[in-house]
Amino acid sequence: MNVCQHFCDQLSDYLDGETRDDECRLIEEHLKECPPCEEIFRSLQKTVVICGKGVSDEIPDSVRQRLRAFLREHCGKD
Amino acid sequence: MNSERTEDSRIITEVLGGNFDAFEQLVEKYQGRIFRHLRKMVWDNQQVEDLLQETFLNAYKGLKGFSGASSFSTWLFRIATNNALMFLRKKRPQSVEYDDEMRTGEETPYAPASPEYLATPQSILLSREGRRKIEEAIDELPVLYRMTIVLRDVEGFSLKELAEIMDCSVGAVKSRLHRARNAVRESLISYYADRLTPADEKMGQRV
Repeated sequence: MNVCQHFCDQLSDYLDGETRDDECRLIEEHLKECPPCEEIFRSLQKTVVICGKGVSDEIPDSVRQRLRAFLREHCGKD
Repeated sequence: MNSERTEDSRIITEVLGGNFDAFEQLVEKYQGRIFRHLRKMVWDNQQVEDLLQETFLNAYKGLKGFSGASSFSTWLFRIATNNALMFLRKKRPQSVEYDDEMRTGEETPYAPASPEYLATPQSILLSREGRRKIEEAIDELPVLYRMTIVLRDVEGFSLKELAEIMDCSVGAVKSRLHRARNAVRESLISYYADRLTPADEKMGQRV
């Protein structure tokens, strides 16, 4: 299964809306015609979406409390 | 985003007027995201906590110098990033100095997308195990790439903001992002191709 390097090199920029209009059209036309590249694109898109949702920003309560105490102690002094 | 910026500006004005409680509002708002960013850069829990405290202390002390040219979040993430990079350069210089560790191979740069990965539902990809795998895939990247994918795809900063936070060109951001996303993609493809069975898929749909 071969993919087309030139198009795949642009897919990350394409996802970020960083490709020019004429390049977008070429990429979109190519993705319609080339199943391996279209699958690469879908897998990249899927990866970007799940990375966005998959890394927790939970902060342990103990860390939160020590941060608050630290700042109260150090910020009032200047 | 603009209303967030307006709200932050209002709080900053209060802090500069001597209201420390207002600063605590900013801490409350951003501590989770800064903690996540530092955790993905540095890993070591104690160091992450020290850097978190240092970042907010630096922000408090430097707030008078905040011009508002960028958003407060961009400015704050830049402080956190600089602190973490300074720590890494001192303690683990080899992890930061080489930016070309991920040169894409010439022959097979793109692993084909496996049907297993494409068919895996989000309920599995974002299950506890799935999230652990996403974190691992990101953690396998060199630090500059790790930062880039986290700041863009997790934190949602624009490429221009990333360039500002990381003090590099937009071109460098794009290049790192491209490589980082593909490396994570390949890592996840390989993982799900090896493990997913139809039974897993059914279980995932019930979650």
